[in-house]
Amino acid sequence: MRKVTCIIVLLFAAGFVFPGLMYAAEKPIVIGAPLATAFLYGWDAERGIKLAAEEINKAGGVNVGGVKRPLAVEVIDTRDLEPGVPVSEALLGLEKLILEKKADFIIGGPVRSEAALAAMDILNKYKKVSIITTGVLTPAYHKKVESNYKKYKYCFRNTSHVGVMMGEFVTLLEDLRKSYGFKTAAIMVQDVEHARKGGEVMQKALTDKGWTVIAPKVYPTGTTDYSVGLSDASKKGAQILFLWMDMPESTILLKQWADMKMKSIPVGFVNAAEQPGFAKASGGKGDYLIVNLVNGGNAPAKITPWTMKFVDAYKKRWGLEPEGYGTSSSYMAVYQLKNAIEKAGSTDPDKVITALETIDFMGVYGRMKFDPKTHQIIPSLDPKQGAVTGIIQWQKGKRVQVFPPKTAEGKVLLPPWMK
Amino acid sequence: MEIVVYGIINSITLSLISLGFTLVYSISRVPNFAHGALYVTSGYLTWIFLNKCTGMPYVLAIILGIGITAVVGALIYQFILVRVRGMEISEIIATYAIGLAILEGLRWGGLRGGTFSLPAFFAGSVDILGVSVDYQRLIIVGAGILTFILLYLFTRYTKMGLAFRGIAQDERAAMMLGINSDVTAVLSLGIGSALAGLAAILLLPLGNIVVETGYNVLIFAIAVCVIGGLGSWGGVIVASFIIGFAQILTESFLSAHYQMVVALLAIILTLLVKPSGIFGKQKELEERV
Repeated sequence: MRKVTCIIVLLFAAGFVFPGLMYAAEKPIVIGAPLATAFLYGWDAERGIKLAAEEINKAGGVNVGGVKRPLAVEVIDTRDLEPGVPVSEALLGLEKLILEKKADFIIGGPVRSEAALAAMDILNKYKKVSIITTGVLTPAYHKKVESNYKKYKYCFRNTSHVGVMMGEFVTLLEDLRKSYGFKTAAIMVQDVEHARKGGEVMQKALTDKGWTVIAPKVYPTGTTDYSVGLSDASKKGAQILFLWMDMPESTILLKQWADMKMKSIPVGFVNAAEQPGFAKASGGKGDYLIVNLVNGGNAPAKITPWTMKFVDAYKKRWGLEPEGYGTSSSYMAVYQLKNAIEKAGSTDPDKVITALETIDFMGVYGRMKFDPKTHQIIPSLDPKQGAVTGIIQWQKGKRVQVFPPKTAEGKVLLPPWMK
Repeated sequence: MEIVVYGIINSITLSLISLGFTLVYSISRVPNFAHGALYVTSGYLTWIFLNKCTGMPYVLAIILGIGITAVVGALIYQFILVRVRGMEISEIIATYAIGLAILEGLRWGGLRGGTFSLPAFFAGSVDILGVSVDYQRLIIVGAGILTFILLYLFTRYTKMGLAFRGIAQDERAAMMLGINSDVTAVLSLGIGSALAGLAAILLLPLGNIVVETGYNVLIFAIAVCVIGGLGSWGGVIVASFIIGFAQILTESFLSAHYQMVVALLAIILTLLVKPSGIFGKQKELEERV
């Protein structure tokens, strides 16, 4: 009997001395992360989620009505960014997370817009609160929430979408026009839905602003030669090459652009040019390219006090800088969920939804606040007002934030052959 | 002028991609669906030697990359294909499965993202008839022509090359003359894989080394071989020029995103008009090498 009493006393003492041991006994809150883990938008999101969960657990866990509970992360590969993989596979992955892994909340994907839109019904079926953090750029996502709030109230998105990104691009290009007198743009996009739409919207927006726009050239995925399109753009006097591509072969386009010394500056959404390793992979020919990383904090920048803290923690944990789109937002989503659960004092989905709709704090890429009607993060060009983008330019092999002006760490530079 | 210059470059690029595939088929009758995977493997191996083995010269990394790929190709025949030889469907399934395993294995092993790239042999570009062309593409053209010439000489003036031709023309008759069919097939897989590797070393410096390239290379190799005629080298050259110029013309006068449609349309038309391809004579006992 004395032995048992001693053990109990020792366990209590250990609990006071090592709080981690105490919460370890509590049931973890399981975060399910359906991600295309073989792709940048998947593996970087996974790292962001895991980093945040580790930080929160190290600090004692999530306070759920006075009980500290740890976070557990369950990742499943949805493969939805691979060509030819059907949406149904991503949906099966999501259901597996919910039914087999017993996920309490979903953070991350599905990553492809088509899969995420289809997943909204599953989230409603199982009443699982989800925060989309990567890949899904279609405005249809938040519009669907707005059009049928009761059914899709479980769906949140803390990252940007095409509508916002286009506005940012137009503002940036208008700034360049004022600074350098640019007036002609050529559009080159990949033959996938989001890129084609992006090209069409940009053509209309720039034409409305008085730009001369060379008709968009649409390239099939896997194209390895862009010389004809680039020559055409060059002959027609393009000063801006607007690109929207998520295929790795877009590096070839940039190498050809540099070799041809075209008197234009490439700007756009170029997946291949997001990672820090792009500078080496392009042999330095990617310099001067301007890329939208969708959210701030996906490359080093001083947007808020938390931005560089996050970048440094990421570097310490994973041994390299955040690589691209989906990193900071995935990291942030875990904190948004933590804050909401603590505010709700429960993991009950309806209470957490109400809390997520009202939480408002300064995060890695600006003010983190969801629009309560659409569950879309409120965007802004001012980090004090909302979530800001991260538009960077490659300068001497480094990613330098150049937009929005309030967070810029450098000015847009022109290639020497343009001067 | 861009159409002519880039049409030629594009055509030679396609023929380089397809050369290994057609060589293997013409000699061993194995449709090597792992061709694209071997292409990526060679590029990735070279990248590893170049970046992980400090101080290794680029030339040595290339030789090792191509050499190991050739050995992998030979081993694929020796340990797997020899068991299903002659069963065409099984050969297709086996090679496709091997290719899939290699490519997804590379992805699983870390070949992800757009940061893997080989350096160009020479940086810079030159104006040819008013068209800017980078040196790497000129090297591709030169190397492509040289490869064809060397292969022509190899199959006509060396003992091994003549054995290849013998097997390609009439396997039974060649065996009666003492040519070992299996050894020839192993060597053909090895040389075909080395040619895939050579194409990779020449073409990958233009872009990145990514898993998806393996699938694209296989599609184009099949397209060229189906149109030109499986196993016909002359067919490879003609088909490469047809597809290569059709793609450039499509981009110039129609739209770039119809390029793949044109290639696939050409396959359908060929299959309708001449199912064995322009120079294909699979069912006849005629020379294929």
